[in-house]
Amino acid sequence: MKLSVIGISHRTAPVEVRETCALTGDLTAKFLQAAHTENVFEEALLLDTCNRTELYFLAAGAGDCMENFLTHIKTLKGLDAAPDKSAFYYHQGQRAIEHLFTVAAALDSQIVGEHQILGQLKDAYKLASEERTARFLLNKLMHRAFRVGKRTQNETQLGRGSVSVASAASDLAAQIFADMSDKSVLLVGAGQTAQAAAKGLISSGVRRVIVANRTLSRAEELTTELAGPVDQSDNDDQIRCPAALRHSDPPGDAADKPQNGVQARAISLDQIGEVIGSVDMVICSTGSSDPVLTYDALGDIIARRSKLLYIVDIAVPRDVDPKLGDLANVFLHNLNDLDSVVARNIERRCQEIPRAKAIVELEVDKFVKWYDSLQVASTITLLNKRFELLRAAEIKRYGGKFTDADTEQLELFTQSLCKKMLHRPIVYLRELAQNASLSDQLLAVETIRRMYELDELQDDDLEQDK
Amino acid sequence: MDMLLSILNWLLPLIYLALAIDYGATFILRQRTHVRNSGVVLAIGVHAVFLVCWGMRYGGLPLAENVEILSVVAFSSVVVYFAIELITRDRRAGLFVFLLIFLMQYTASTFLAGEIAQGLVATRGWGTLHVLPAVFAYTALAFAAIYAALYLIGQRNLKHHNFGLLFDRLPPLDLLGRMSFQALMVGFAFMTATMITGGALFHRYGSGGGTLPMEPKLLAKIIIGSAAWIICAVDVFGKYVLKWSIARVASIALAGFLIIAALFVTSFALS
Repeated sequence: MKLSVIGISHRTAPVEVRETCALTGDLTAKFLQAAHTENVFEEALLLDTCNRTELYFLAAGAGDCMENFLTHIKTLKGLDAAPDKSAFYYHQGQRAIEHLFTVAAALDSQIVGEHQILGQLKDAYKLASEERTARFLLNKLMHRAFRVGKRTQNETQLGRGSVSVASAASDLAAQIFADMSDKSVLLVGAGQTAQAAAKGLISSGVRRVIVANRTLSRAEELTTELAGPVDQSDNDDQIRCPAALRHSDPPGDAADKPQNGVQARAISLDQIGEVIGSVDMVICSTGSSDPVLTYDALGDIIARRSKLLYIVDIAVPRDVDPKLGDLANVFLHNLNDLDSVVARNIERRCQEIPRAKAIVELEVDKFVKWYDSLQVASTITLLNKRFELLRAAEIKRYGGKFTDADTEQLELFTQSLCKKMLHRPIVYLRELAQNASLSDQLLAVETIRRMYELDELQDDDLEQDK
Repeated sequence: MDMLLSILNWLLPLIYLALAIDYGATFILRQRTHVRNSGVVLAIGVHAVFLVCWGMRYGGLPLAENVEILSVVAFSSVVVYFAIELITRDRRAGLFVFLLIFLMQYTASTFLAGEIAQGLVATRGWGTLHVLPAVFAYTALAFAAIYAALYLIGQRNLKHHNFGLLFDRLPPLDLLGRMSFQALMVGFAFMTATMITGGALFHRYGSGGGTLPMEPKLLAKIIIGSAAWIICAVDVFGKYVLKWSIARVASIALAGFLIIAALFVTSFALS
């Protein structure tokens, strides 16, 4: 099989190297346009995420595809020299398919089981289709890869459970509150993890946010940010994906993005007592060396509430007096608790890896079997067999109406007719095998196989062999 | 007809057991909102056919004895649960509900099998107007207790940072607390209706010149009903007037139901 993949990923190169090779934004389209024009690749698809840059292709000729790809990276990125070849991997045939399916199943991701990769693969495929570099084989292959991704998500627990502190806080909140849309959150301090947790809660539906900070102007900045456009990216991935490798939005897109409808306001730390009676969740992450939420100051106010209050203390040293956690309606979790949730989820995901791998193996086998069936020689054999079967059936049906002597003539006549009817299709297939591109060849073979239901015939043969 | 009743009588506990197993799988596999309630619809259909056939054969619902009432309680439970699942689209509590329903129907079926075999079936006549709201009331209280128990388990897990087996398999706490209290309110309303219709029956007997025999069984029912009504009233008062925490309201709903169940079992054992 001529299908191959050349790539660089978090497994083979550090972020500094990956940064230099990443073809983000317009560069992917430019590369595909060049590939289409130069005709080095019969089909090509470029997957570029913060963890990998991979080129899936069907080579048109015998040229060095690796050299070609690296040269393109050098040109497009304006590098002095082409990237180091040793950081790249190159797989061919079944191994390339296996690699793609492993990527689609999120088994090769930095965070095993993450959900973003499938969307990124779809985007890559859409772009390749638009640039007309994804045709018959990549079309089939990518749809099978999407199927693998969906199966792993639906049939295993690989993507379940949060694997970052921020999303663990959000998940724990979901264990307390069924509907987030009428809930409010108080953010005490403006630490990065607390921000990520707040964003996670906003994406779960929270629509009222209050930011309390020692510096009011910083709190106001954060409220503007939180009330901004909808951020639909995966929280777990955002924390680990270096900014340089994230795909930036095209200019002008931010204004077009839907606003998240969050009402956010800023207050000073002194005003916490005024709002704590009405909020549902509190996320603390100040750099204070003393507790910010103390039992003496807030215990009575919180005890008077009849609603549940969820407090997440991500600060080290802790911001929240542990005595507050003893109040009936209060649930207090600190960094250790969230870490234990994350560790448990990671362990759970690891236990699911064998099941996901089994799905990948099965789908690789199916795809290889389908690909192998598209050989011209075997298709011609099956085509002959299909006509012979039809001929024999008709002879059996009408043979009784002829005399013995006529039956012999009938045999000869039908054999000759079938041969003549098959002559042009067979010549056409042989010419395709010699002259046409692999994509055209596969497309034609598959069409003929479908027209004459040759796969069924092959399956029958296999059954008989067994 | 008796043959059909016998078959349905034993089919029902099997269906409820199968549903409990199905919901158990949902619970274990964490399928939060996987709505596949054709089994519940089937159970409701079969149970309805059973009750209709019973009514046609014996001229009333099986409401005469404490144990046979359980079949009607099981039926009302499955209808109420079906409605709750459709509203919340959350089937994670189903395992617990269907385990209880299975136990109720199995107990009722064991008793009803004897009645069918002997052909000795009592009916209530006007008493149905008193018994039906009682059935609905106890069903609602059973739901309040199940949701309260789940609330308390979930609360304990979250409070003590016990993120083990049950942690993310249970529905959200505020949903459980809300469902428990709403079920208790429904139970309270039906229990009040039960008291009123019970008083009216007393009055009817009195105005007709007769008197209801104050036998121990009747006394036990009056005591149990009154206890249930008082427990509901205390919980509602505590929630709205004393602003009790959800945990306290849930604890009383659960403890109250356990007391009522214990009283039922004791009265049954003594009779």
